[in-house]
Amino acid sequence: MGAHYTAVGWNRQKKIYDWLLFAFCVTYLAVFVATTAAINPDYTFETVLIRATSTLAFVLLHIILSIGPLARINHKFLPLLYNRRHLGVTMFFVAMVHGGFSILQFHALGNTNPFLSLFLSNTQYNSLPGFPFQALGFFALLILLLMAATSHDFWLHNLSPKIWKSLHMLVYLAYLLIIMHVMLGVIQYETNPVLVTVLGLGAITIISLHLIAGAREVKKDNTTYTNRQDGFVQVCQVAEIENDRAKMFCIGAERIAVFKTAGKLFAISNVCKHQNGPLGEGKVIDGCITCPWHGYQYLPHNGQSPPPFKEQVSTYDVIIKEGYVWVNPVAYPEGTERPGASVH
Amino acid sequence: MGNNNNEAFYIGWVGKAPATLAAFVKKYVLFLLPTGIAVAFLLAMAQKKFGTGNFEFGTLTQVTGVYFDKPVPCLTVTAGTDVWGKPAYVTVPLIGYGKFWAEGVLTEMEKTKGVTLNNKQVTMRGTLLYNDGKVFMQIDGNDNPVTNVAENKHPMPTAQPVDIGRILVKGEIVDPKCYFGVMKPGEGKPHEDCAIRCILGGMPPMLHVVDRNGRSNYYFIVGTGGDKINNSLKNYIAKPVEIKAKAVQFNDLVVLYTNASQSITAISKSAMLQPQGSMVACAAMRMPVTTTASGIK
Repeated sequence: MGAHYTAVGWNRQKKIYDWLLFAFCVTYLAVFVATTAAINPDYTFETVLIRATSTLAFVLLHIILSIGPLARINHKFLPLLYNRRHLGVTMFFVAMVHGGFSILQFHALGNTNPFLSLFLSNTQYNSLPGFPFQALGFFALLILLLMAATSHDFWLHNLSPKIWKSLHMLVYLAYLLIIMHVMLGVIQYETNPVLVTVLGLGAITIISLHLIAGAREVKKDNTTYTNRQDGFVQVCQVAEIENDRAKMFCIGAERIAVFKTAGKLFAISNVCKHQNGPLGEGKVIDGCITCPWHGYQYLPHNGQSPPPFKEQVSTYDVIIKEGYVWVNPVAYPEGTERPGASVH
Repeated sequence: MGNNNNEAFYIGWVGKAPATLAAFVKKYVLFLLPTGIAVAFLLAMAQKKFGTGNFEFGTLTQVTGVYFDKPVPCLTVTAGTDVWGKPAYVTVPLIGYGKFWAEGVLTEMEKTKGVTLNNKQVTMRGTLLYNDGKVFMQIDGNDNPVTNVAENKHPMPTAQPVDIGRILVKGEIVDPKCYFGVMKPGEGKPHEDCAIRCILGGMPPMLHVVDRNGRSNYYFIVGTGGDKINNSLKNYIAKPVEIKAKAVQFNDLVVLYTNASQSITAISKSAMLQPQGSMVACAAMRMPVTTTASGIK
């Protein structure tokens, strides 16, 4: 979130995260290769490498996709979210080894450019069982490449959070493409039900977690507020908001976080400028509202990040009447200073 | 949730996570990572058995035999006697480097050496690949694969092909180079693109037929006039097919002469097994083969 961009610092938490990730990847590959070699003395290294990396990338993708909803369901998972991009980039590199080696293995040293061969060898695009599954994997890898290449905050700022977020939501399209890549490819050949079972359990887990997390969000969003007066909406009692914490309210199209800090209430947009994190689930630390996802900070009275940072979110008018909190859901321009409401 | 002070608050850029969160994440990671490793083990165990084919990558072997350019370029090598005491032969089809057939290299060799190879005794140097009683040799122009050419003093029965008659066979069209050793698997959907690329590159298509007892037989596929029909097979490669063809035996090879547009039909996987005993038998095809530097025994 800085005005200047420097290399990401590897603090203790990141180092632990990355070492665990590295150890997991190495152990996974070693177990897959060793098990294959033990039960298949006739194995070829190329095939084992292609399979080990494909399954590892797929397992990592499931972990990545589960972290978001898990963190929505239980905030104790947030430490896994903070460094998720390292997981994503690692997954991309593993998938790239799979894709690169597969293109080399199946398409190189032939009479056609390997990348053209990928699309021109099997051309039964009009048949579901005969569909050229490798093309699906190629497009999934392309999406993962775009995501990995733009994972740094430099791109988030230059593309704008909205475009960046939209681009990174393509991970769900990549997931669908990979599921189809597996179903129309290796599942057509392998006969052991373990493969389909693992694939199905993975998909069910991801879909279920998203549905549960989504249902909670919908419930919050659908809360109705009946008491309205002079443009203000009664949202809760003052006592319901803990000091240095907030409550989030969805009024019309606005998602508003009302914080209580330093004896006052302040209302700002609930949506963090970084990755749309829920500021209302954050905490005031050192006088700054701190996003629970990646620690981006904003000043409560004007929604501005403390200098030299430049992020700004919308602010709202908030008043207190007879112990109740009232919010005007008409947003002020981002970074507009508001007086807040004195609790005392 | 997440907005009360009883709950620890995590900030990634702070050096250390709150103890309660660290303990929770530790427990989750201790569950997640072994689960992931168990998935690796399960998936590795669930793989189909790898084929037993061998590709002697990096090892060049010299083989001496009589070269024939039809029905497919091959060396026919004397391999002792059969069970009746008659001379037995092993045919070693020749394949090119990468996803190409050997014809290009052989034509180049004939030009370079100023000789014709057909029906001559030829010593060739190349990389062997073999499986299920079949042996192939990859020849690469960079290895100077033709080391000796001499007149053939011992005519072989290849010159007298045996007409088996019209047959109906079901199986999968594979490219022999991958199937017999270079790729594992060298068949089925995962290998389809590669098989198509190899066959479109000139590799002679082979029909792999499995009977209900799990025994395999292999037939080269050519056009009705012995011509290449590789391009017209494109949509049938690596898929279950039924082929009506005239079958002709050349020593230990059986070749199907067929018409792709009229005599090849896609069928379901379940219909692919041959009824027991209806295969074209060929004793020499299942003969075990061992290789030496100077020939095949």
